[in-house]
Amino acid sequence: MSDTTTAEPRLQRPPAERRYADELAKLAAEDDAPRPPGWALSLQAARTFVVGDESRGITRKFVGDPSLIDRALVTLATNRGLMLVGEPGTAKSLLSELIAAAVSGDSTLTIQGGASTTEDQIAYSWNYSLLVSEGPTQRALVPAPLLQGMAEGRVVRFEEITRCPLEVQDSLLSPLSDRVLAVPELEGDSMVFAREGFNIIATANTRDRGVNEMSAALKRRFNFETVFPIADFDTELDLVEHEAANALARSGVPVPPSRDVLAVLVKVFRDLRSGDTQGRPQAVMSTAEAVSVAHAVGIKAWYLRGGEAEAGDIVDCMAGAAAKDSAEDLARLRRYLEQKAPQRKGPHWASLYQARNLLPG
Amino acid sequence: MTADTLTDRLHVQGVRHHSPACARLVADRIEALRPAAVLIEGPADFNDRLDELALEHELPVAIYSYASTDLAVRRSWTPLCDYSPEWAALTEGRRIGADVRFIDLPAWHDAFSGIENRYSDAERRYTDATDRLCRAFAVDNTDALWDHLVEIADTDRLEARLDQYFDIIRGEGEDAVDASASDTAREAHMAAWIRAALAEHDGPVLVVCGGFHAPALRRLAATGTAEPPEIPSPPEGTEVGGFLVPYSFKRLDSFGGYQSGMPSPEYYQQLWEQGPGPAAASLVQRITMRLRSKGIHVSTSDLIGARSLTDGLARLRGHHRPGRTDLLDGLASALISDDLEQPLPWTRRGTLTPGTHPVVVEMTAALTGGRVGRLHPATPAPPLVADAQAELERLGLDKDGDLRLDLVKPRDLERSRALHCLRLLALPGVSRNSGPAAGADVTAEEHWTLRPHTDRLPSLIEAGALGATLGDAAQTVLEQRLDGADDLNALAGLLFDAALCGRAHLTDSIGTAVEAAVADSGDVAAVGRALGAALALWRHDHLFGTAGSDLYAAVITACCDRVLWLVEGLHAAPGPADLGRLQALCALRDAVRHAPDLAPTAEWVTRSADRIALDPQAPPDLRGAALGLAWTFGAPTDAAAAAEGAASPDRLGDWLSGLFAVAREEVIAEEQGVVAAVDDLVGALTEDEFLVALPALRQAFGMFPPRERGQIAERIVSARGGGDAYALTARLDVDPLTTAAAMALEARVDAVLEREHLHFGGES
Repeated sequence: MSDTTTAEPRLQRPPAERRYADELAKLAAEDDAPRPPGWALSLQAARTFVVGDESRGITRKFVGDPSLIDRALVTLATNRGLMLVGEPGTAKSLLSELIAAAVSGDSTLTIQGGASTTEDQIAYSWNYSLLVSEGPTQRALVPAPLLQGMAEGRVVRFEEITRCPLEVQDSLLSPLSDRVLAVPELEGDSMVFAREGFNIIATANTRDRGVNEMSAALKRRFNFETVFPIADFDTELDLVEHEAANALARSGVPVPPSRDVLAVLVKVFRDLRSGDTQGRPQAVMSTAEAVSVAHAVGIKAWYLRGGEAEAGDIVDCMAGAAAKDSAEDLARLRRYLEQKAPQRKGPHWASLYQARNLLPG
Repeated sequence: MTADTLTDRLHVQGVRHHSPACARLVADRIEALRPAAVLIEGPADFNDRLDELALEHELPVAIYSYASTDLAVRRSWTPLCDYSPEWAALTEGRRIGADVRFIDLPAWHDAFSGIENRYSDAERRYTDATDRLCRAFAVDNTDALWDHLVEIADTDRLEARLDQYFDIIRGEGEDAVDASASDTAREAHMAAWIRAALAEHDGPVLVVCGGFHAPALRRLAATGTAEPPEIPSPPEGTEVGGFLVPYSFKRLDSFGGYQSGMPSPEYYQQLWEQGPGPAAASLVQRITMRLRSKGIHVSTSDLIGARSLTDGLARLRGHHRPGRTDLLDGLASALISDDLEQPLPWTRRGTLTPGTHPVVVEMTAALTGGRVGRLHPATPAPPLVADAQAELERLGLDKDGDLRLDLVKPRDLERSRALHCLRLLALPGVSRNSGPAAGADVTAEEHWTLRPHTDRLPSLIEAGALGATLGDAAQTVLEQRLDGADDLNALAGLLFDAALCGRAHLTDSIGTAVEAAVADSGDVAAVGRALGAALALWRHDHLFGTAGSDLYAAVITACCDRVLWLVEGLHAAPGPADLGRLQALCALRDAVRHAPDLAPTAEWVTRSADRIALDPQAPPDLRGAALGLAWTFGAPTDAAAAAEGAASPDRLGDWLSGLFAVAREEVIAEEQGVVAAVDDLVGALTEDEFLVALPALRQAFGMFPPRERGQIAERIVSARGGGDAYALTARLDVDPLTTAAAMALEARVDAVLEREHLHFGGES
């Protein structure tokens, strides 16, 4: 992205289709494979956009199994919705954003699910002054993402769908199965039929499951894809190193933690994440969480001590960031530090073990 | 020889083991080339028995090789199935009358140390290049990459594509992979055979070898002497051999087996027999039938959905016809409407992980297939039959009847070991009536009954696949059972079996199995029992000769770690003392005391114990036991003060049970201390509280043997100003009628509880 276009103010985080506008344009120009109706790119090009292709200058944006992307894209080309499930922090939302940007060229039709989400925010609402003066007309209608996506043939993202009440979730049933949305208030053309290219990508946390378990009818209209934490240690370490360095640079810290220190951090996260049911913390031990701990570690070392981060710094940063306020999790972390850390070799593990008493409580 | 004639006559076909496409290619090349010699990567010491291999067996079969020394046995398999390129080379080569030969080092050679399957993929040991290729083709792993490039791709120019693929994997110039010493040794040996064959024959020579070796063999064949290499002889004192055994698809499958090659053998069998289209159809049919037979609902619309996904995936991935992963991906997406706990196994490599979705488990099992090989009846009987018969004759066990063995006598111990091996091999007509049940058991006498049985010989022939001698075969059984033992109680039994058979040596696979079983177990009591059993065998057992055995040492280390880890995380509401976990802490205490090199240090355990003793969420018996543990290791402990902290009537007894179970001797050695404190506490209880506290207190003091109970009574009496201590511990004189009435009442209460289903479960 160039900073020369001073006309636009710099955004904190532009959507994917703006962040990667060059790559999308390049892929579209070179794309000669057949495109599903309503799609901005072919499936092949969309896949390349997500998994990357060094030889063509396309960056790798999602670290994970390429077959997951294959299945997700093919699902979107069929008449079923795509449901991305997984532990928090496994980059589900990023993935849904990237896919929407690749498929529709637009990732902004997003519904954020929550306990207070209503049908108004999903389908449509009214401009009440117009409604009062003109009655229910097209002009008074305020389309929400679902209606807009159907009318324009684009992908709609529904984040954290299981956090919505069941009856709100079920408002997706007829748009998904019959591909039509009724606006009964409108006289005459009260049915909005979905144009080609419309589909839904929903995401759900496995941790939130049971809060609002989806109905079987809705489940049937989605294909489920589980997104897993990164399987490979080196890949995860690379990612944490890269992201932490970026985050620290934004915070004005020129010295990111050394790779050895980060290796200890990532190992701790992976051990805790894969631990048995007793040892596994309630808190999320995701890669994203590891990045934020690495960020905190770097900041603490630089601004408080004016030096490079040590493995010992991990301990109190983890207490706040990872264990949050759960006494149980603190106990788990303490047990890990007391019993497992001293078994590992190397100066950084020793420093981690030495710092174990910094755990609060 | 000039380079020109060499390239004209030498044809090295690199293959992937168990690849139908490669098998077809090898057959085609033999037909087209009509080579004078076909040289195959396989054990050269088996060359004089190729006729045996050419009998009409039902595949899969394997060449089983062993090398046994006094200490241990090393085994390896060379599996062959219908679609093995090596099998195609063997059969087609013999058909056209070529000189067919195995050219690799024997399996006992050090180059195969740690390799149990000769045909596991060599490139798995060198993953850099394959990782890069997977990234470039946007596939998950080498299996998917291989299908994409070879199995379901067009067959034209396959030969060149394979060469290119293996060249990339082996690398060139600066990128060249540094082959390990063992691969280098094998390649030198194979190259020597190739040069000898080129010198011996005028016609073309075809070499069929793992693709990783192909570039090196081409290079090495150009230089060096043309003498046939000498097949190395085994080191002094090592007995080696090899013979044919039936093999199974289950063992061939890398999802289940150890170190195997291509996954899903049943799929590739279909691919070999019928080609990609019908193989895909039969795969879907197999999976559907299997899922339905397991009661998992698969509707027609699911299948339609799966079909359209599969077609879409195949098109996206550039496949003209759907491949294995296209089908599996399509089916998984259509059939599973849930989040997965474990990744889909075909996106990774290796064995299935616990927690894999049941539908996925059934899908992979359907692709494994149940095919089991069978040897032609004319195949010579495995050496186990002769070995077992000779051994039984030597030990005088070839007669039937009852047998009494005194294990202290060396000859009887040897006989007992042979019989235990037979027992493990499940040979009919051999039963043990009594004998030691654990390490350091007081009895040293064993009783057996031997009965004639018609199935004994057939069973022995079947067991021939397990090893060449009784001991080797028994060890295979032990390893297989350990591998499948998910619960630690079974593991403890197996470890004792190992001692009984005289096979208590640590091998890699046993060590891995033990570590996995211990690490998976969340049951402190079971880990404690395994620890206790292993510790007894490691410390005392001179009878079976297991004292100091490295196998039990490994178990002790793993169990100590696990006990400590589990107890520190154990949180539970106050409840009755759990003897299992208390015994686990006792076992840990003994291990720290008596096996200091294997267990964590006393200081370390003490720190953990201190934390548990103070943890308000830990159950009272565990807190008491932890305090006791710290105490026995000499940590400054004020047990009396701690007892006052645990004084509430519903937990005092449980806390004391824990303390007494672990630190009985320390309590007795104290002049005043805990017992006096408890006396005061009990004295302060009200009548109701006392009744609440009584059962647990009774259990706690039951930890002391009668003599020590007497000592405690004396102390209490003297502290209270004297009296008759005996009266405190003497049995009460009760009218038998009263006892009978009480028992009748209890029986009635039990019956009512039973009727209302209010009975609590057995042990605790």
